[in-house]
Amino acid sequence: MAISFETVYEQIKALLGQTRTIPIGKINRLDLERFAVAVDDPNPLFFDDAFAREHGYPGALAPPLYLSSVLGWEAGPFEDSLRPDGTPNNDAMAVPIRGLRVMGGGQELEFHRPVTAGMDVVMEFSVSNAELKRGRTGPLLVVQLKKRFLTADGTPIVTCRENFIAR
Amino acid sequence: MGQANLFFEDVKVGTTVTPLVKRPSTVQLFRFSAMTWNSHKIHYDKPYAQSEGYPDVLVQSHLHGSFLAQAVMDWAGPSARMVGFRWQNRAIACPGDVLTCAGTVVKTEMGDGCGYVECELEERNQRNQLCAPGWARVALALRTEPSK
Repeated sequence: MAISFETVYEQIKALLGQTRTIPIGKINRLDLERFAVAVDDPNPLFFDDAFAREHGYPGALAPPLYLSSVLGWEAGPFEDSLRPDGTPNNDAMAVPIRGLRVMGGGQELEFHRPVTAGMDVVMEFSVSNAELKRGRTGPLLVVQLKKRFLTADGTPIVTCRENFIAR
Repeated sequence: MGQANLFFEDVKVGTTVTPLVKRPSTVQLFRFSAMTWNSHKIHYDKPYAQSEGYPDVLVQSHLHGSFLAQAVMDWAGPSARMVGFRWQNRAIACPGDVLTCAGTVVKTEMGDGCGYVECELEERNQRNQLCAPGWARVALALRTEPSK
């Protein structure tokens, strides 16, 4: 399938400056623990309220990368709305890169306050940069997303800048 | 694991972050994808991953990052506060690879009632290829309260 990088690049550039606000809702204790289990990280800060309180936290913590690693905060999409590579093409965090091979490039994170179960969280999501580059194996797009996690009353929790690469 | 407290006075430039060895499995990749609602087939569908030119399913970008963050938090102890963190994905990893996360303190500075240390981090595979460089900034408690 012939892909015009320039077309995809123009579609992504059209999103620059648009911010979508995505309600995450109350942080679920079980999700935090399961994330830590999936990482195979048994740190008692993530499981034991009393231990976390002894170390100055209000209760058991989220692993530091929890909020910025979850790729979807909505129920969907249904399977027939997935791209051939399995990624969603129409949820709130989707970026129009149909037909390209995509890979996560890493994140830069600022942690403003600890994340604990029961916090009511909102995410502001935007495409903050897009660059068309020539790699060793051909053209590639480097797209930067910005995710700001805030409490429902607007207090910053985590700021994330994430790069992904589409080829 | 996450038990002993590190104090700012215990750390200087050149101090090493205790290495953490991780051995990702297909079960781990499946559970991490499920937990993060990551339906990208390169993480669980081997024939699909091979169709993109990879030898096997791939460790998720965010799991590489989580391994490095785990190494830092285990080393710094439960009273430390991670205030900044970053990583980059440079080389792929697959189930069966042995990933070692290590680091070195590159900067220390006094803060208001605590000390800050910055670490350069590396996650390398069993062939010593750099899979993910990273960096963390951590606030550590002071062993002695500064006199006012």
